[in-house]
Amino acid sequence: MILRNLKFALSSAWQSFWRNLAVSLAAVISITLILILAGVNLLIGHAFSQVLDGFRAKVSEISINVSDDTPLQSINDFQAQIAADPRVASVRFVTKDEALAQFRADPQNYVLVQQIEGNPLDAKLDVQVKNLNDVAAVDTMARGWSGVDPTDPTNYQGDFINRMLQLSEWLGLAGAGLLVILLIVSVVIVMNTIRTAVYHRRKEIEVMKLVGATEWFVRGPFVIEGVMTGLIAASIALALLAVGYEPVVARFKSDIGFIPLSYDPAFLTSLARDLMLAGALLGAMGSYIGVRRYVRI
Amino acid sequence: MVLTPDFATRPVISFQHVHKTYSTGTEALRDINLEVPEGDFLFLVGPSGAGKSTLVRLLIREEKPTRGKIFVDGVELGRMKRRRLPHYRRKVGLVFQDFKLLPNLTVYENVAFALRVLGASDHQVRDRVAEALDTVSLYNKESTYPANLSGGEQQRVAIARALVHAPRFIIADEPTGNLDPATAWEIMQLFLRINARGATVVMATHNREIVDLLRRRVIAIDAGQVARDDRSGRYHDDFAKSEVRA
Repeated sequence: MILRNLKFALSSAWQSFWRNLAVSLAAVISITLILILAGVNLLIGHAFSQVLDGFRAKVSEISINVSDDTPLQSINDFQAQIAADPRVASVRFVTKDEALAQFRADPQNYVLVQQIEGNPLDAKLDVQVKNLNDVAAVDTMARGWSGVDPTDPTNYQGDFINRMLQLSEWLGLAGAGLLVILLIVSVVIVMNTIRTAVYHRRKEIEVMKLVGATEWFVRGPFVIEGVMTGLIAASIALALLAVGYEPVVARFKSDIGFIPLSYDPAFLTSLARDLMLAGALLGAMGSYIGVRRYVRI
Repeated sequence: MVLTPDFATRPVISFQHVHKTYSTGTEALRDINLEVPEGDFLFLVGPSGAGKSTLVRLLIREEKPTRGKIFVDGVELGRMKRRRLPHYRRKVGLVFQDFKLLPNLTVYENVAFALRVLGASDHQVRDRVAEALDTVSLYNKESTYPANLSGGEQQRVAIARALVHAPRFIIADEPTGNLDPATAWEIMQLFLRINARGATVVMATHNREIVDLLRRRVIAIDAGQVARDDRSGRYHDDFAKSEVRA
């Protein structure tokens, strides 16, 4: 009986979608536009998070300068201590000679290299910290170590990192805020579009109730129709976004080259999943709320 | 005054001191007492606004009484839970003046709809819809849409839908109101046949000729009260000036 009702709801939804094509198309267009906006928002958010991840990887490495008179044993002990810390991804010891070689290898230091006599550079421990938020703690730990160079303990730039963290936080909040606004606007638009569709069919609903249809029997086809509408809209939005994504990123890269934006085809898979889910949910919710007033017996 | 004819069979519909006052303050029905035995055929007559439609709406539980009790088949309608209402309506066949057909469905689909809500199988739907359409002589119009049918044909579809699930009660509100006399008479023949099969028929009507010809039970409603209950009555036109609006 449940299967029969489901079959009836599916075929009614399909029939009604085509028989009320004008209203169905209005709903599809509204949901498509909303999903395109949401998709663009997600793509921009993803692009910025890619850029931020790049910065994060750079600034989450900290170099601890080792004082010249520190015994090798003390350095090894401290290296082992840091490596055991769960916040740390990796530690590498760089000797004075290696540090000088690295310095010389950098073309930016060409002029300075001509003036250097001997090796003024410290040996150092390059520490890769897993989470950007923990860099400050590792810096504090390093400054407390007896073997650290007291004149120039680390290359930690707290201000820069804090600003990065703030920027990333603000961008995340703005993206989430925009998504919430889009969600509210879209539910209202979809609900009203579907309510208009339902209003045209209120007599049909009245007849259904008079012949003994249960609330869910009446509501079922409308909700399924809403899901169908949402999925069609999501497919259209996804196709347009997929076509536009690569050229827009390429154009952006050529115009604003200093922001390292990149095309990420793998993200389209998760975008497809999110848009399909959002489309189905929007359609179902819009129908459920839109039809509620008329369905109540 | 309680007007209860002394029928041998037990009543399947019973109104006990029923009052209905709408939220606007209009008193549509006052102290209605009625008993309808199984298999009865009764006409509700009265001037416009007398309370006939309110009585029908109470019977199909579109409205609840303000006071008093209505029993149908042993169930008190005023206390029936909302989720039980669809099950109650499936025991009733409803026919209206404006037919209330679904315009997007064909004749066949409209009649089948009353069975679909019951969860009937395709096989049952095919057999019973064919039988119902045969009863109302519309078997050759099953693929037609309501807009392409005459008024009489639309009402026959509505009757086929009302009887396809073999209901125990048929409630009809002015079923011949939009039809010419010849078609109205054809429709009445259908109701008589349904009644002869055992269904109880309650019909609100203004059609004097039909009421007078058929000589069935007549309940006259006037100013929200039962003015007359004749076992084989006539329409009459002796209603007092009605002061209430249904």
